[in-house]
Amino acid sequence: MRHVEHVMGTTVSIELTEDRPDAGLRELIADVCAWLHEVDARFSTYKPDSEVSRFGRGELRLEDGSADLRHVVEACADLWRDTDGYFDAHAAGSFDPSGYVKGWSVEMASARLLAAGSHDHYINAGGDIRMRGHHPDGGPWRVGIRHPWEADKLSWVLTLNDGAVATSGTYERGDHVINPRTGRPAKGLRSVTVVGPDLSLADAYATAALAMGEAGIVWLAKRAADGYDSAVVTDDGRAFSSANLPAAV
Amino acid sequence: MRRSTAAAVGTLTGAALIIGVRLSVTPPEAPVAQSQVADLNDSTPPPAAKKPAASAKPPAKGDGDKKAADKPADKPADKPKSGLKDGVFKGSSAANPYGKIQVSIKIEGGKITNAAATYPTANDSATINPPAIAALKEATLQAQNADVAAVSGATYTSESYVKSLQAALDAAKA
Repeated sequence: MRHVEHVMGTTVSIELTEDRPDAGLRELIADVCAWLHEVDARFSTYKPDSEVSRFGRGELRLEDGSADLRHVVEACADLWRDTDGYFDAHAAGSFDPSGYVKGWSVEMASARLLAAGSHDHYINAGGDIRMRGHHPDGGPWRVGIRHPWEADKLSWVLTLNDGAVATSGTYERGDHVINPRTGRPAKGLRSVTVVGPDLSLADAYATAALAMGEAGIVWLAKRAADGYDSAVVTDDGRAFSSANLPAAV
Repeated sequence: MRRSTAAAVGTLTGAALIIGVRLSVTPPEAPVAQSQVADLNDSTPPPAAKKPAASAKPPAKGDGDKKAADKPADKPADKPKSGLKDGVFKGSSAANPYGKIQVSIKIEGGKITNAAATYPTANDSATINPPAIAALKEATLQAQNADVAAVSGATYTSESYVKSLQAALDAAKA
């Protein structure tokens, strides 16, 4: 069963391939959607009364915030350190963890599905995907990485059972990723895809590498040791991939 | 002040783990194929229904450093049920900084057999876009078999979702 939900400023595609009655599948999907809307309500920086906005203005102390808020704040701090400052939730001035929250919320959504007994599914939130189990045909999930110039083409096809695929790029929303060192739009890389066990980290790593520019290629290579593979296309059309990228032949 | 030296420095070990692939720099054969796909705009029979001109060409061997993925695109018959409906599914046309683009996919026997898009062909964008497309064309053809369940890409908005390949997949599955 496939479902499309508009939430968090993007579109989320959900596919469940369990062999169970439709009513049960619909219930699982409804739970995922309710969770994503809840995250949006609590973590949107566009909503002045959201938990994250109140925290950002200093009206809510971290210790008084929810466990989720504390997790997000801590994760952003860890990522700032682990990415040499290139993943920066304060890059725009006020605290904006959006670059972490989307991947994290989908990671959580997939975990909720698993806990409810759904072993075969994927959730694609605006191009960042968390999947588990199998495609309906019994094989692994096949995930295309969008070609960074041709919207209808794929630059890689990956096969995965369990894992996350996150892509950051400059071709959808323009120069929206800022290099926090210079305060200017990141240059050098057109598309960065990170594949690994956890979508929240994969997504943050992809964003950080994009912000680094070509130096991000070298930085990403070091993430492979932790199980995060990558595929990169530079602004001038060169393609790079790590040795263990699960690319289909 | 936040500080750390450029990530590029002192990481040659890391660099060794990365395989660089220069995507083929095939010069402008592409425009021929593009003019063919371009009539998508007039919603004449979608080009997805035609054999893509580019793939009819023999693969350009001798690129040496081409990605190993350049294997026969046709996989053995499998995928008994994908749940995809047959037909041609088009996204709505959209403008981006490089021009107007519209995507469509074709599904036959439950499999995606083709995907196509229109590209800008006039004015400045014609001089900017075709070389960029041509430069990555070979890589695209390597992955021409767009038989995938999902597409990862730079985050789209709810508005731009409608012209994405993912939207076409969702429409086919609905």
